[in-house]
Amino acid sequence: MKSAVNKGWRPLLVFILLLVMWEGAARLFDVPAWLLPLPTQIAEEAFTGYSLYVSHIMSTITLSATGYLVGITVGIVVAILLFRIPFLQQAFYPLLILSQNIPVIVLAPLLVIWFGFGMLPKVIVIVLVCFFPVTIAALDGFRQTDRDMLYYLKMIGASNRQIFWKLQWPHSLPSLFSGLKIAATYSVMGAVISEWLGANKGIGVYMTLASSSFKTDRVFVAIVLIMILSLTYFGIILAVEKSVLRWRSQGGKESDGSTHS
Amino acid sequence: MGQLTLENLSKSYGLNHVLQDITLSVKEGEFVSIVGPSGSGKSTIFQLIGGLYTPDSGTISLDGSVLNNSRGYISYMPQSPALFPWRTVLQNVELSAEIAGTKQDRTKTLELIKSAGLSGYEDAYPNELSGGMKQRVSFIRSLNAPQSIICLDEPFSALDEFTRLEMQQWLLSIWETYKKSILFITHDIDEALFLSDRIIVLSDKPAVVKKEITVPFDRPRSEELLLSDPFLTLKREIYNLLRS
Repeated sequence: MKSAVNKGWRPLLVFILLLVMWEGAARLFDVPAWLLPLPTQIAEEAFTGYSLYVSHIMSTITLSATGYLVGITVGIVVAILLFRIPFLQQAFYPLLILSQNIPVIVLAPLLVIWFGFGMLPKVIVIVLVCFFPVTIAALDGFRQTDRDMLYYLKMIGASNRQIFWKLQWPHSLPSLFSGLKIAATYSVMGAVISEWLGANKGIGVYMTLASSSFKTDRVFVAIVLIMILSLTYFGIILAVEKSVLRWRSQGGKESDGSTHS
Repeated sequence: MGQLTLENLSKSYGLNHVLQDITLSVKEGEFVSIVGPSGSGKSTIFQLIGGLYTPDSGTISLDGSVLNNSRGYISYMPQSPALFPWRTVLQNVELSAEIAGTKQDRTKTLELIKSAGLSGYEDAYPNELSGGMKQRVSFIRSLNAPQSIICLDEPFSALDEFTRLEMQQWLLSIWETYKKSILFITHDIDEALFLSDRIIVLSDKPAVVKKEITVPFDRPRSEELLLSDPFLTLKREIYNLLRS
């Protein structure tokens, strides 16, 4: 806990300093609130307008969590299939990359045309942004298996299945978790984007309503909410990672991720 | 059971002729070492025994049945400990039996860990252990396997002199209790003489068996043996064989 405080004060100081400069500059040049609200005004809106956005938050959490869980499941399953079946990897890897070259903003309206305004097209958008970092991270992890351990397993006659579940899978977990963390922050972004397209609830809706009526302070409240939500997801995954990868922090020497790369 | 026989084994990779007519055997409960210049294809012999590659000619048999290119019949201890960092000491030792698909005998496993002087470390992770401790875990992992023959590939070459001697004595004491057949690769003549019943001397590439030497020393062996006259005479003989 103490070390968290020791490390945490620097970014916190920078953050506070930025806010102070913003507040000072906006006051000095008398910037109108509809153009750039003061941090104090945003904070005030966040407190007084609480009832306006609280239901939107719940909706976004449900949407992004659903999308995230489906997305990482798809990501992990795709990674395992591509890795275990080389033919699939050759056939589908380019397609996988291509799928990431279509901007979500372009794809989302199409999904609405195909699937309507329900939950499904929104979840698909989140799955599309979430699965990719997970798949790539898991595949990297599978490929970077330690040679000595692999050789040992082969010498004692382990089957490919045993090699995968006893070596490649656990060995890929540190790498997989970095993918899961990236996907966690993407999932919130994906949820907000999909809500812009047509939803009756969600932070994305709150944001659209606010910007179309020039309630700029509320737009900033929405931004802050998105940040808090992303950070919370990130923190949850970090906590899961710590408990799953306990072996990495045990003992005197911290084994860093670069040992076998 | 645990009688391993290699007959007229040859292997080349493309133009690289590695092994030429290798014939050797390990009797049940015997400790046999293979010494040879580095790059003489010692590890290739293990890869063939382990079934990773098929020999060009010749047969490998265990207790009379031919093993060519079949895996899972030997236990193995690699040069680097190759412990799995996410497994505790206990789980690492259990790995070999797990792969072989045999039932775990927890009491036997704990006894092995105790005999390695690692009581109290059962739930420790490998990154908490010293180099010598890791090698001991690696060895008892190979002992914990159901297979009757263990192949050891220069297991102590990365350790410092003192730890190595300590490990050799420990290895002998534990081997004398469990009596498995051992095939041991090393480039250290002292080590081969101190540990084995027989030594197979290989030539440079393509490797042929230059000589087979029976080590006459009684067991249990102690450190003093290393400086005795008969020991040094044999050492000189092997040294000359390797040089010529």
